Amino acid sequence: MSEVSSSRTSATAPVRRRPTSDIALRYGLIAVLIVLIAVSQLLYPRFLDPQNIKNILSQNAPLGIIAVGMTLVMITRGFDLSVGAVYASGATVFASLAVAGWPLWAAGAVTMMIGVFAGLINGTIVTRLNVNPFVATLGTTSVFSGLALLYSNSSPFVVSEKAFTLLGRGSFLEIPISIWVLLMVFVIGEFVLSRTVYGRSLYAIGGNDEASRLAGLPTAMLRTTTYVICGACAALAGMIIASRLSIGQADIGASMALDSIAVVVIGGTSLMGGEGAVWRSAIGLLIVAVLTNLLDSLAVDSNYQLVIKGTIVVAAVALDAYARLRR
Amino acid sequence: MTHRRGKGRGTAKPLLATPANQDDIRVSDLSATISPAVRLKGVSKTFGPIQALKPVNLDIAAGTIHALVGQNGAGKSTTLGILAGRISATTGDVEIGGARVDLGDPRRARAAGVVAIYQELTIVPALSAVANVFLGQPLSRGYLLSEGAMQSRFAELAGRLGVSIPTDAEARSLSVADQQTLEILRAIQANARIILFDEPTTALAQPEREALFKVMRDLRAEGHTLIYVSHNLDEVLGISDAITVFRNGSLIETRPTQAWTKAQLVTAMLGEEMGDIYHRRPASRLRDGEPAISVRDIALPGAIGEIGFSVRAGEILGVGGLVGSGRSSLLRALAGLEHRSSGQIEIAGREVAWPRTPRAARALGIALVPEDRKHQGLVLGMTAADNVTLPKLRAIARSGLIDNQLAAEVAADATRAFGFDPKRLFAPVGTLSGGNQQKVLLARWAFDRPKVLLVDEPTRGIDVGAKAEILDALRAFAEEGLAVIMVSSELEEICALADRVIVMSEGRQVDHIDASRAELSVHRILNSAFGVERHHHV
Repeated sequence: MSEVSSSRTSATAPVRRRPTSDIALRYGLIAVLIVLIAVSQLLYPRFLDPQNIKNILSQNAPLGIIAVGMTLVMITRGFDLSVGAVYASGATVFASLAVAGWPLWAAGAVTMMIGVFAGLINGTIVTRLNVNPFVATLGTTSVFSGLALLYSNSSPFVVSEKAFTLLGRGSFLEIPISIWVLLMVFVIGEFVLSRTVYGRSLYAIGGNDEASRLAGLPTAMLRTTTYVICGACAALAGMIIASRLSIGQADIGASMALDSIAVVVIGGTSLMGGEGAVWRSAIGLLIVAVLTNLLDSLAVDSNYQLVIKGTIVVAAVALDAYARLRR
Repeated sequence: MTHRRGKGRGTAKPLLATPANQDDIRVSDLSATISPAVRLKGVSKTFGPIQALKPVNLDIAAGTIHALVGQNGAGKSTTLGILAGRISATTGDVEIGGARVDLGDPRRARAAGVVAIYQELTIVPALSAVANVFLGQPLSRGYLLSEGAMQSRFAELAGRLGVSIPTDAEARSLSVADQQTLEILRAIQANARIILFDEPTTALAQPEREALFKVMRDLRAEGHTLIYVSHNLDEVLGISDAITVFRNGSLIETRPTQAWTKAQLVTAMLGEEMGDIYHRRPASRLRDGEPAISVRDIALPGAIGEIGFSVRAGEILGVGGLVGSGRSSLLRALAGLEHRSSGQIEIAGREVAWPRTPRAARALGIALVPEDRKHQGLVLGMTAADNVTLPKLRAIARSGLIDNQLAAEVAADATRAFGFDPKRLFAPVGTLSGGNQQKVLLARWAFDRPKVLLVDEPTRGIDVGAKAEILDALRAFAEEGLAVIMVSSELEEICALADRVIVMSEGRQVDHIDASRAELSVHRILNSAFGVERHHHV
């Protein structure tokens, strides 16, 4: 939080001096990203080719969109493990309705409603029944995927309609539509979190829930909305992947929860709540995406990739804990 | 450690304009006959560019209680930290019992017989009382714990100090006072000859304080040397043998306690005649209007009941009583923090629903300044300005977007009246002193004006200069038409501010004192709280 407010208020207030190590920890990520890009370009000369960049971004659009929702949840010191299941449900429902001949806008609207509803359930369990978010969303993950598997009878919906692929494979101004959607979600997310009353309230709740409640903020309601937004993001991401593959199936997205949390944490949003930003998750997404692309292009075994990515996530969290200790 | 800039009450005149001439200050030699337990020779401490402690020479006689007083940042805590080995001195030598000791590590200090007891206790909540006393150094035979030996040693130590704590009680089930006693027992068990106390009484109620002082006197009688840092000058004057005053990182003066008066201490601490911070601040205007808040039959099962009172706009109602008398539960119930509470409530003469959530209480115009600033009051990672504007973000937003320019102005306006340094508005509030944090919380309600302001322990852990400012601020709130309900363990504060006082005991209201009709004194409140004069029942 503090880096957001101090940079915004620096025009009117004396700038607070920060220890250099703090600055390194805060902005070191950007350096990491630049180094990673340079290394990729060295090892793989076509890396900075516009087509490759478009590929990287559109492949990672669903992950990025979910990461934005996850950022909001994690800033309030929450957690949403059910994004993978909602993502799969979104893909399944969107495709099934298209197969059934629904107009695409109606299919999309219903899919988004499902995401919102799933988030509402998560938020209600966490805030009204006071279940730990980790356990609550671990439980709903199973419920949502079970329902999606039942609904689809465990088989994929294959869509043949051409228009259905627009969201995942179409382009606007030579840039894939999925990238436009990704950009839009990030810009809106960053704006809402850093500039609005709602965003400021989320930081306050994450920083100190009891103090915020005493100050009169509707903390339970605000927390619930973050799960709702996260659910909607997951459903939107599901629509994009279904459109991209022309298939909606309920058994995808198993790694989505961990991947999206990884993106948020690598970006530096704290697991302890109250700190972080959407732009940080954007950097986190780029780091993960570039790394994946690099490892893929070097034909690194996907099992090794798992080991490497897991190590990076743990290192990012350890770095956060270390920075916290030094403060 | 920051240098606190003193601010005179209501004036911008710097307090420390005329520093005492250092050459004139002579450290009285209290230890002409006995060799001192502790001798500091030219001990100083520099943190980066800041000299937190200028070279200090100080002798502390063995078998005495020696108090260190001063405002926050005066250097007393740094001195204590050096003795405890928590802070390593930049220059100078420390001698303990005549021998030069190289401190700078709590374990070495411990080996030299020095143990510190901090405000933040180091009790393990899930362990028993006995286990806490022998923490880290259990009595054992080989690898087997000697439970019996520890039990009897515990009983012996407790008996020596005249305290009774159930040996097998889980530490978390004990009161703060008992937990503190466990730390003292632990120190004695570790053969500490010199015990350092940092603000030991802030979390204690009056009788518990008395009990602690008895323990301290007993320890002194056994030959222990006690070094004691406190903001509470009455207590310091009551218990210590000698008092050293610090100001702005310098040792100002040491005198035997009988050679000090409270006014002299305050003057030495602040560097200017400040008078009595507990001077009476009565309401200046007539109080014959409608009650701003009127409550009846307040009850919280198992905690409080049979409470009713009303407070007019412009009036301050003090709530007196001992810790555990239900004072804080009463405030929490009014603030909507006790959802099982019930009662009848009228706001401005209109019967309304009893608030069961903080949001409902806020909607009625009731706001709380909680006792626990860090956990219930402030979002520590946010700036002071953001903490001020938190309850009414809409007021600093245009169509849902936060206007930072406006927010900065609003926060500066709200904090100005409290003598808050505007340079600190954009510092994370967690880095500010207790006094400044409290000013931020009060400024919050100057910005988002409630009708009824509840304040719980408003000056806990706050230094003398800021205390006076906080008390003045509460009176100013009332003058501006708020009804203020105030709980404080420091009954002098209630006597200084309150227009009327209700006294609570065991969850019940046992007395009602109108300062305009009867004499309001600490004595009167304590008598009621202890049930000495129960005929004053309402």
